[in-house]
Amino acid sequence: MHSNFDTRTAAACIALGGLFIGALVIAADDKTPSEWLERMDSAVQTTNYEGTVVRLQDGKVEAFEVVHTVSDGVVREKVIFKDGNGLEIIRNGNEVHCIFPDRKSVLVEEWNDQSTLFSTLPSGDLQFGSAYDVSIDSFERVAGRKAVVLAIRPHDNYRYGHRIWLDIKTGFPLQAQLIGDDSEPLQQVKFADIRIDADILTSSLASSYSTDGWKWFTEPRRDAKQEVESEWISDNIPAGFRVVSTHEEALSADTSNVTHMLYSDGLATVSVFIASGNDQKKAKRSSVGASNSYTTLIGDYRVTAVGEVPWATVEQIAGSMRLRR
Amino acid sequence: MQVSAFVDGELPENEAELLVRRLSQDAVLRQQVAEYLAIGRIMRGEYSARGSDVLRERIAAELEERPLQEDADAAVSETSSRYVRPLAGFAIAATVALVAIFGLRQTIGIDNEPLEVQTAAEDVTMETVPAMNDEELRPLYLLHGKDSPSFNARWTAAQIHAEELVEESADDAELPAEEATEAGEVEPVTSQP
Repeated sequence: MHSNFDTRTAAACIALGGLFIGALVIAADDKTPSEWLERMDSAVQTTNYEGTVVRLQDGKVEAFEVVHTVSDGVVREKVIFKDGNGLEIIRNGNEVHCIFPDRKSVLVEEWNDQSTLFSTLPSGDLQFGSAYDVSIDSFERVAGRKAVVLAIRPHDNYRYGHRIWLDIKTGFPLQAQLIGDDSEPLQQVKFADIRIDADILTSSLASSYSTDGWKWFTEPRRDAKQEVESEWISDNIPAGFRVVSTHEEALSADTSNVTHMLYSDGLATVSVFIASGNDQKKAKRSSVGASNSYTTLIGDYRVTAVGEVPWATVEQIAGSMRLRR
Repeated sequence: MQVSAFVDGELPENEAELLVRRLSQDAVLRQQVAEYLAIGRIMRGEYSARGSDVLRERIAAELEERPLQEDADAAVSETSSRYVRPLAGFAIAATVALVAIFGLRQTIGIDNEPLEVQTAAEDVTMETVPAMNDEELRPLYLLHGKDSPSFNARWTAAQIHAEELVEESADDAELPAEEATEAGEVEPVTSQP
């Protein structure tokens, strides 16, 4: 008798559990992909969380712990890299400390935006249809939480795709992949565990190290950038990319300014740097992580395009730059 | 799980052989294993696992026994410039091993696809060393990182800064502090602000 009761109870629990998950899936289906992206955008800006993140890129697996709070619009964040040199990045508002324990050094930088760990993801502002399509791909479980998987597919080979796993309950991104043109992930960031909207102690945001007696470096404050009218245009820009800003930048005291044009398709960004001086060097490709660059010579200028886009894109953009006539 | 037993040194040799062979041929399984190993290490509070290193070496050895190495070299010679060839020996072996284990595409080397927009092959220098070792490119990657709200770009910038700090420290050992600081470079501060 007791056994039958347990069996029925268990069956009821399983049925209720199934109904609950089913209800979550139906609720997820009620939202369009764009609504999910808007929800994600809001969650990234307002959610407090802490957890462990695994990043796979270039055949390497890196792990880091992250603590993140937002209060009165001020972002506080600590990221501790568990491999390599044990770098800690601690952000308090716009001030960022990069702590290198192996060198007993601290680099102080100023970030003038609200970018955080997951701000690389597309926002709900992105207009789909021209360069990308977005769809709900599937439902999976990440870090013990039910997630809806969004697939963002580019229309051509000039940009990468994305897959994003969003927590069904909050819309927070639990996993993200950058997808290459062979449909394989180029880069993946995934929470192995996460506590969302956790009570986070202020001490959790402090450095793990006592930095007394360490060497401190200050990155010179970047001068307020002045928009300039560029004499340069692209005569063969890949579809969907447009100029979003143009500035003159000083690389160092002993070099002349470079023109820095930032192109975006709403998701991917490509910087184009144009410097005077043709020093007879050959064209050059290079890469760091998922960022590719291509340098070529156009007239008396050296033109370099850098971005998290395929080789073909940086090559085409750099090679298409022309002086206005 | 077989991988766990292998990492713990508890998998019989014949089963270990089969596991290594499967991993060298199955990209999806490799990615699952990479995640499993990474997450397991974190959960155990370990950040390097001797067993996973053994697994990595075994897969690399398995790959070297097969003609894949020759295929990779051939692919490089077809798709890359002549500047890559002197580096192909060691670098490509390491790349193949890493790709085999983690199933991720390398940004340079064996699986470069033909570019839609080509420049004259003789004019293109393929950099097999990351841009952080290139004094001309480093500041450009940094500036791009500052204007691109990408974690990847920010992480790259942090690593480039780390390299600069090494150089800065070396310079400081040789130069008076006032000579070591110039506009546009990181400024050393002797004490905490």
